Amino acid sequence: MIEITAYALQVLLIIIAIAIVVHKNNGTIIILITSFSLVTASLYVINNAPDVAIAEVAIGSAIIPLIYVISISRQREFIVLDRARDDFLKRAFDKEGIGYRLLRDFSEYYKLELNITDDPELCSYDPNKDQVLCEKTNVDLIIQKDERTGEYLLKGKDSSILMHKLEELASEYEDIRVVRFKDGDFGD
Amino acid sequence: MVILVIKNGLLIALLLVLLGAFYFSVQDLELMYNTFAKNYYLENGFYQTYARNLVTGIYLDYRLFDSIFEAGILLIAVSGILWISKQDIEKHNVHFMLDKFKTPDLFVMFARIVYPLMLVFGFYVIVNGHISPGGGFQGGAIVATAILILYYIDPNKETDPTFIVSIEKIVFLLIIGFATISIVTKGTMFTNPFTVDNIEVQSIYLLLMNILIGVKVALGLWTIFTAFLKEGR
Repeated sequence: MIEITAYALQVLLIIIAIAIVVHKNNGTIIILITSFSLVTASLYVINNAPDVAIAEVAIGSAIIPLIYVISISRQREFIVLDRARDDFLKRAFDKEGIGYRLLRDFSEYYKLELNITDDPELCSYDPNKDQVLCEKTNVDLIIQKDERTGEYLLKGKDSSILMHKLEELASEYEDIRVVRFKDGDFGD
Repeated sequence: MVILVIKNGLLIALLLVLLGAFYFSVQDLELMYNTFAKNYYLENGFYQTYARNLVTGIYLDYRLFDSIFEAGILLIAVSGILWISKQDIEKHNVHFMLDKFKTPDLFVMFARIVYPLMLVFGFYVIVNGHISPGGGFQGGAIVATAILILYYIDPNKETDPTFIVSIEKIVFLLIIGFATISIVTKGTMFTNPFTVDNIEVQSIYLLLMNILIGVKVALGLWTIFTAFLKEGR
């Protein structure tokens, strides 16, 4: 009987491993990884290794999923720093700014949560050092108005895949320009 | 395109070579298989280490040198995570919307019931490491999980990870110091320092060593959580 259980659990492990690779939803993947380590722990118990099983349960099904939950929920927010402070990002019932419409389409496409802020401390930071701001803080995008041409500049990191999609979306609008910072100009 | 095909072909050829090497080495393993080490540990393990759980006897007596470096690996990993997550522009970050949400009351209620039980179970696993399955690493991980629940109850709890790491370093030095005492009493390093032939006296060494390793692992994992929670705040 115990041998049949062990074979069934091993087949289950393969199925779970394939499911982890195939699935797209992050929450489902975390639960699958947790169940993978639970099945592994029961296999360890069947093979007379209870010490390893306790370590596997404590690490694989408690600590790792909690760390994943923390870090994935941080990554789901798209933080926009609004330096322009005019109707561009206005959100109202009757009239919404073109910038807000663009960013809303963009965040719906990637299932992100939009977090628009006009934090006074960050807005007063030197505009020439925007790249440092993007690298060192959690700001993903900086919106600024060019005084001479009247264009709106969207600044972000070049390495982010999201920025390429944003550039593609912004090409439909005339007075929006996307600026991408190059990587590796400075480092620590 | 051609380069890609050549690259993939080389990779597949490498995999086939590895598979062949594995196949032939497994045939050799059949000849090498014996039960000498198993029988040795089963016959002499208890009388040489006084550990009723032989796994503890191995990792705290026969292979203590390896265990010390395993503890060192965790310390290095924690220091690396702290170094990666450090930030230069401090306290200028935007507040996450996530941090403004309140933890559900039901979760807080259950966490308050489960938290003391998890702590007690963790200490039980550490203290009984030389008698029943468990030990310093496993118990330390359980204690660290219990501490992590505190951060889910109160997300704005402030901790200084560098302070915790400095305690962890001191505990690591204590482990090394305690392991080297036996050079005075027995003449060899990294073994049980007590010479009295009594199970209870000899168990003191295993108990203290398990507690030290448990404290060290719990502090290390706690530092990793705080570094992840502080990241981007």
